[in-house]
Amino acid sequence: MDIHFLAATMMELLSAAPLTLLLFLLSSACGGLLALVITWMRIAENPLLSSFAKTYIFVFRGSPLLIQIFLIYYGLAQFDIVRGGPLWPYLREPFVCAVIALSLCTAGYTAEILRGGLRAIPVRDIEAARSIGMSGFLLFRRIIAPLTLRAILPSYSTELVLMVKSTALASIVTVWEVTGVAQRISSETYRVFEVFSCAAVIYLTLNFVIIQMMALLEFKLSKHHCPMA
Amino acid sequence: MQTDILDNDFSRWMLLLFLGALVTLAVTVCSMALGAVLGAVICSWKLSKTLGLRGAASIYTTVLRGIPELLVIYVLYFGGSSIVTGLGNLFGYTGFIAVPAFVAGVAAVGLVSGAYQAEVYRGAFLAVPRGEIEAAMAIGMRRMQRFRRIILPQVLRLSISGLGNVWQLTLKDSALISVIGVAELMRMSQLAAGSTREYFLYLSAGGIFYLLLTNASDRIFKMLERIADRSMPSSTMGRV
Amino acid sequence: MQASPRLKLVDIHKSFGTFEVLKGVSLEANDGDVISLLGASGSGKSTFLRCINLLELPNRGEVWLDGEKLEIHERRGHAVIGSQKQIDRVRSQLSMVFQTFNLWSHMTVLQNVIEGPIHVMKRPRAESIEEAEALLEKVGLADRRNAYPAHLSGGQQQRAAIARALAMKPKVMLFDEPTSALDPELVGEVLRVMRKLAEEGMTMIVVTHEMGFARSVSNRIIYMKDGQVDCSGTPQEMFSDNGPASFNRFVGASDDEIGAARAR
Repeated sequence: MDIHFLAATMMELLSAAPLTLLLFLLSSACGGLLALVITWMRIAENPLLSSFAKTYIFVFRGSPLLIQIFLIYYGLAQFDIVRGGPLWPYLREPFVCAVIALSLCTAGYTAEILRGGLRAIPVRDIEAARSIGMSGFLLFRRIIAPLTLRAILPSYSTELVLMVKSTALASIVTVWEVTGVAQRISSETYRVFEVFSCAAVIYLTLNFVIIQMMALLEFKLSKHHCPMA
Repeated sequence: MQTDILDNDFSRWMLLLFLGALVTLAVTVCSMALGAVLGAVICSWKLSKTLGLRGAASIYTTVLRGIPELLVIYVLYFGGSSIVTGLGNLFGYTGFIAVPAFVAGVAAVGLVSGAYQAEVYRGAFLAVPRGEIEAAMAIGMRRMQRFRRIILPQVLRLSISGLGNVWQLTLKDSALISVIGVAELMRMSQLAAGSTREYFLYLSAGGIFYLLLTNASDRIFKMLERIADRSMPSSTMGRV
Repeated sequence: MQASPRLKLVDIHKSFGTFEVLKGVSLEANDGDVISLLGASGSGKSTFLRCINLLELPNRGEVWLDGEKLEIHERRGHAVIGSQKQIDRVRSQLSMVFQTFNLWSHMTVLQNVIEGPIHVMKRPRAESIEEAEALLEKVGLADRRNAYPAHLSGGQQQRAAIARALAMKPKVMLFDEPTSALDPELVGEVLRVMRKLAEEGMTMIVVTHEMGFARSVSNRIIYMKDGQVDCSGTPQEMFSDNGPASFNRFVGASDDEIGAARAR
């Protein structure tokens, strides 16, 4: 057990951890917001909107994330419009492409989770609200949103863990996050197991923190379900 | 003239993509099979009375569902290769020996699939109505009989929808073994795109192949669920 | 008159954790006895019944079937089954009908009934099917033999469960609140089948709330309270005005409940 090597590797990997974290946070935030839009379109009465949403969800849940990343990183760069456009300095960056791909992907999965959460709301709760005159945005804000949020917490917790794991794919398009750095160190030193074990520890810690935070959130939101002390 | 060459090339590449899709299917089937065996073993450990087995099973499922699949692939391929190379050195061979990428890829995806399948089987087992097991005990059925005749059929029936999800997951994870050079759909799409510089075209084609695979899988599993549920009531209200 | 009783339980004690559910209960049953176990919820009657076929393991006490003692050992403070082979064999000579029917949901009614004879008793398939169909005829389910349990009403499911129990040719039949989970109008069809069995001489031990059945079909009533036998006797003795006071209070209270329910 070469403690020095392990420690040095850990330090180097930890210096890449902020990038992993940034990828995760940005993609989850953008993806989450996009998911709200997609879900709203999905449940809209307009057939154009709901078909688009259905297709979007189908495409992004039915294909591997890797192909989505490649399409955005290599595929977009093919078109002159993109290369000549104002956003090009950003779109040529692997990091930006990775964030875009990750966001689009998680938006698809999250939209499906949200749809499940909406369907889980007991109809009687909505009827009760309507019967006292609630409707529109007030109904959404006071009844639908809180109940949906509570219903999706377990599934969304799983989705966030999947997001953390997905950030590793950014290494394939030359983003130097934890997995990318680990792969580089491993190929230089040939000490595969030690290096990747350190990387695994970082990911497991990250996931542990996320799961605990989500569990805390779930607990805080479900106080009314707990029996009287 | 240009379009003729493009058409020929296009057909050739599409054929390669199709062959890649077949390899993807092969990888997925092998990984699911490996995962089924591992999943069953790990599930039985999780339900065991021995603390050591339960702990080992927990570590397995936590780690393999918590770390990126890419890490598992790298460890098995590069780690495996370094072990094999080391063995070769022992016997006097000085070069680098690589583990077959297909084997390493299937093993890696299979290990991850096994972790998810273990959870599916565990959930299904816990959902078997306790009363039915008691009724089997009450007529004197022995443990093995109870398992074979009552528990196993129910667990299989209750696992189908969960296994459908794991299949989709495994199918998409198989794309990751393209990084170690396995000639499956993802790799073929990359090769076609890189060779012709038509990135958008061939990557989209690959994507569409994957969509076809996942869609077909979805339909098949829904059909399997329907068949398995024919013994179940169509509505939750009992009929008198 | 038999020299030794068919079934004998001696001083059964059972605790769940620190809570003692059975505080020394004994019972003897001869061939043809129909014994009703009555008592309020929590009196321990179901637990006691389940001790007979060792679905619950008593912490203390003895269980004898046909002069054979069931082996129960103690290991690290828990009671464990001494010989799995013995208990499997004994269980195949007893039969239990459950409150929640517990038919195997992935098998048809007929498959449920022949499962025990074929796989536990190792009888030939053709013979088992023939007997099963006769039993289904007896309980009035001949036309539903290929239906799945989920497609049957509660009363039909329970009658199928009784046919399944009979297929094992049991020496003693155990009934654990067989009608408690049924809608009122379905209770009658199940009680009719049970009455027929009693008249044919089956040895039955029935945990029930159905006073009418206890009174008219059983030849002995045991009233349990707080984990012990409070009093017992023939229906005539127990239900008469001179009968045990505590039992009469219990019956009165139950009648009040039923009366109140009817008034609503």
